[in-house]
Amino acid sequence: MQKLPWCSDTMSVEPVVTVKNLVKNYGQTQAVKNLNFAINPGELFGLIGPDGAGKTTTFHILGGIMDATAGEVLALGIKPRDVRLQIGYLTQQFSLYTDLSIEENLKYVAGIREVPADEFEERKYKYLRAMDLLRFKERLAGKLSGGMKQKLALCCALMASPKLLLLDEPTTGVDPVSRREFWDLLATVTGDGVTVAVATPYLDEAERCSRLILMHEGEIQEMGSVAELKSGLKMKRLEVRVNQPDASGGTLEKLEEKLWAMPQSKEKIKDIQAFGDRLDVLTAQPQETEGLIQTATDLPVSIEVQDPTLENVFVNRLKGKVHVDHETRYPFVEKAPQPAGAEAIAARSISKVFGAFKAVNDVSLSVQYGEIYGLLGANGAGKTTTIKMLCGLLQPTKGEMILCGAKSNLRSAALRQRLGYMSQKFTLYDDLTILENLEFYCGVYQVQDRLKNERIDWVLANSGLQGQENMLTGRLPGGWKQRLSFGAAVMHQPEVLFLDEPTSGVDPLARREMWRMIREFAADGTAVLVTTHFLEEAEHCSQLGFMVAGELVAEGSPSGIKESQPGQLLEIRFSNQQAAYELLRENLDAWRVSVFADSLHIVVDDPDKELPRIVDLAKGAGIDVIEARPLPFSLEDSFISIVKRASVKADDKAA
Amino acid sequence: MPIGPLVKTTRLGALARKEMRQIMRDKQLIFILFLMPLIQLCIYGYALSPDVNHLRLGIIDYSQSPTSRGFISALCENEVFERRDSGDSEAALGEKVRGGKLDVGIVIPPELERNFKSRKVTEIQVLLDGVDANTAGIANAYINQIVMSFDRLIRTGSQIPFQRAAPQISFVYNQGLVSNWFFVPGVIALVLNLVSTLVSSAAVVREKDSGTLEQLLMTPVSSFQILTAKIIPLSALLLINVSVSLFLSTFLFHVPFRGNLLVFFSVSLLYIIVGISIGIFLAAISENQRQTLLTSFFINLPVIQLSGAISPLESMPPFFQWLSLLDPLRYYCSAVRAILLKGAGFDAIWRDVLALAIFAVVLLWLSSARFREQLK
Repeated sequence: MQKLPWCSDTMSVEPVVTVKNLVKNYGQTQAVKNLNFAINPGELFGLIGPDGAGKTTTFHILGGIMDATAGEVLALGIKPRDVRLQIGYLTQQFSLYTDLSIEENLKYVAGIREVPADEFEERKYKYLRAMDLLRFKERLAGKLSGGMKQKLALCCALMASPKLLLLDEPTTGVDPVSRREFWDLLATVTGDGVTVAVATPYLDEAERCSRLILMHEGEIQEMGSVAELKSGLKMKRLEVRVNQPDASGGTLEKLEEKLWAMPQSKEKIKDIQAFGDRLDVLTAQPQETEGLIQTATDLPVSIEVQDPTLENVFVNRLKGKVHVDHETRYPFVEKAPQPAGAEAIAARSISKVFGAFKAVNDVSLSVQYGEIYGLLGANGAGKTTTIKMLCGLLQPTKGEMILCGAKSNLRSAALRQRLGYMSQKFTLYDDLTILENLEFYCGVYQVQDRLKNERIDWVLANSGLQGQENMLTGRLPGGWKQRLSFGAAVMHQPEVLFLDEPTSGVDPLARREMWRMIREFAADGTAVLVTTHFLEEAEHCSQLGFMVAGELVAEGSPSGIKESQPGQLLEIRFSNQQAAYELLRENLDAWRVSVFADSLHIVVDDPDKELPRIVDLAKGAGIDVIEARPLPFSLEDSFISIVKRASVKADDKAA
Repeated sequence: MPIGPLVKTTRLGALARKEMRQIMRDKQLIFILFLMPLIQLCIYGYALSPDVNHLRLGIIDYSQSPTSRGFISALCENEVFERRDSGDSEAALGEKVRGGKLDVGIVIPPELERNFKSRKVTEIQVLLDGVDANTAGIANAYINQIVMSFDRLIRTGSQIPFQRAAPQISFVYNQGLVSNWFFVPGVIALVLNLVSTLVSSAAVVREKDSGTLEQLLMTPVSSFQILTAKIIPLSALLLINVSVSLFLSTFLFHVPFRGNLLVFFSVSLLYIIVGISIGIFLAAISENQRQTLLTSFFINLPVIQLSGAISPLESMPPFFQWLSLLDPLRYYCSAVRAILLKGAGFDAIWRDVLALAIFAVVLLWLSSARFREQLK
């Protein structure tokens, strides 16, 4: 099978899934309106779209769990309900027995699906090794981290060797390293001929799909390969950086405002998005726009022309279809400016030991007012423990802390009045209405009546919830809840804001709105410390810290981190991608190789030496290299590379 | 700072208002608060009636004498025994008792009259259907009482007719058991204990379950305020719960209320604090709602069984009677009975009140310490 199975000249292949004029109504609401698509064998087919687009409903119908209102759905040529044994299904909820070990869970699934013993052993070894779970096989499923649980759930789904695998946002809340392993395994199984359909809120994952549909309000907005979607936009993305030592604290926001204020901007500039240390300007006329930007400011700016991202596609296709009021500004109360260089949050060699376990070891960091600091790390790297120490919930075993300039008494009520906190769990009261929740936090923080009403209006306007304030909070979809939760955490205009995975499971549009709100606070001088599993999101931070095994192993601005990566990222297309993938993973470190749609991404330390070696290796196995080109490191690549190199170092030390 | 206390009270106000709203929106909770007393009172009041009436009695009278006839009429002159066909021999009687056609069989020996006259002891054979051990025991006790009283009446040579002896006997034995009067005050206490521990543990553990507790800890409120804001609205609601119980007990079961309402509600409030403290403690040591519920069984069942709410303390072995001294519900039960049935005031029940007050202070201190500790 030299050709990719979904190429146009193999149209004779019977599609695995056919959806014709699919409609699904829940009472009066139309969840899915007239959906048409087909998925071919061996495809890794992605569904993206905001919350409530109808992705889960579509999956339920494809999996035979739910009946369609109208239209025709065929899976493997017949009704999904009748081939359910050949369909694997995985959702955000873990469908594991928590009291059984990894191995027992697999044995159980294999048992009910009557998998022969020798095949079971073979698959078990193959999948557990791919997921890096082999060494934990005795561990109870209940004791695994979220990422490990999802990886195990995927292994369980694969045990019965299904022909079709349906995955509904399987990697929500899973750390980047586990997500990379998860998707690498998906690439492997599609290579074996399994067809995979997956919905995801993470667009960096969607980049790895062979084809995508973008859904909104039950309809397909766009369908095609990642490259097709991007080129269909017919635009370029200009990365604008201000080359000034302390460019944070509203510099970028001011530049953005200036750009929008220019008379020509309306026709030339399609979209501007501010990140931690750059602006992304989307335009159809890159050269003219470049000139426009240069004339707009006297700051020393550097501009790089790049292809648009999937997020650009997503946001621009759906722009104008989702109404959010940006005009309402948060009523900030003027405060005495903080002295220059004042530290909002600082840790000096803090450590935390639980029994014999060193959760956090000798971490030092410092966050200034107006800065957004991103703390990144895999599950179990000590992020949550660190953020709990930084915000005063946990006492460090060793080391010194500074919070809002205070060195001691970090749990005092007066100090907590100046902090805002939003944890990864959704932290509003489900059984109170939206308004009651906001009023409660206003009451707890003693917000003055005059400000209270204005601020509540601000939250409602910015989360698109005007007129629904008397709805029970529990009925809101995730994206809205999360923005509301953020709103509740900033009712009292905190000086320091802690956000622990604030956008987990939130769609790209809602995420963008949320970051606009966060940046509004940073621009006013609030210090923000945020943790996230979502590396596109980390681009919004002005400073990043990477944690591995309880230690801070790298720190810097997003651009700085990417630039400081040793080696080079290569994008290589092979004549037989699957064979090349397996070959290279055998011969290089496994983490260096991953599948992105129709090419492999490979991290090499010395491209001049290693590229020829890769070409030779491939030739030896009868595989041709079609195209190879260098790529800039993404934050995700940097993250994986930093984590893997650090763990190798830690292992060496241990040995 | 002069505004300090004011700020604190309004913060507490915001917390308490939130609790109240959550409680009012929880339909299950409202159901527990108002229907639990009704259901429990009906079950214990109607279904679990311990009175033993209309037992089927068979008698073989070999004596056929005035004394034996007098004895038989003493046995049957009350509501307890009803004479049925006994067959014609001792063996037939035994068969009927064994077959469940009769509850009690009595064989009067021929020498009764002779022994009676010569002042000798006569042995009367009593056959009991032991399948229902409880009923058998009670029947046995009745017969003993009747025999003894019959004996006494005969010996003292009294002229009082036999039939007047029967109701007297039955009254003495039954004491409280005749009516629901013994049960109803106990059930009021039992319901308050169940509802207060369940509701307060749910209110605390829910916050832990949903992660909002962590959020609260990051706000300037103190753990003291969090707890107070939970205790005050719950206490008010539980007072309503006791009122519902009290109303139902007088309305449905005609249990007299001879005491003072103020005394009743003060004592109840003390027990409410005890119950809430137990609930908070349960929530503080559990991870989630399910665990709380399971642990509450371990605590609530012994607390109820040992309290004397549904079975008299006097019927327990001495060790358990001693153990019941450590059960706060025991004091509340006895206080409620005394207030309702005897009209007792503080002067009469001060021992119970003192015990309850000590329990309330100690348990509240213990549970809030545990609550605060788990936050660290």
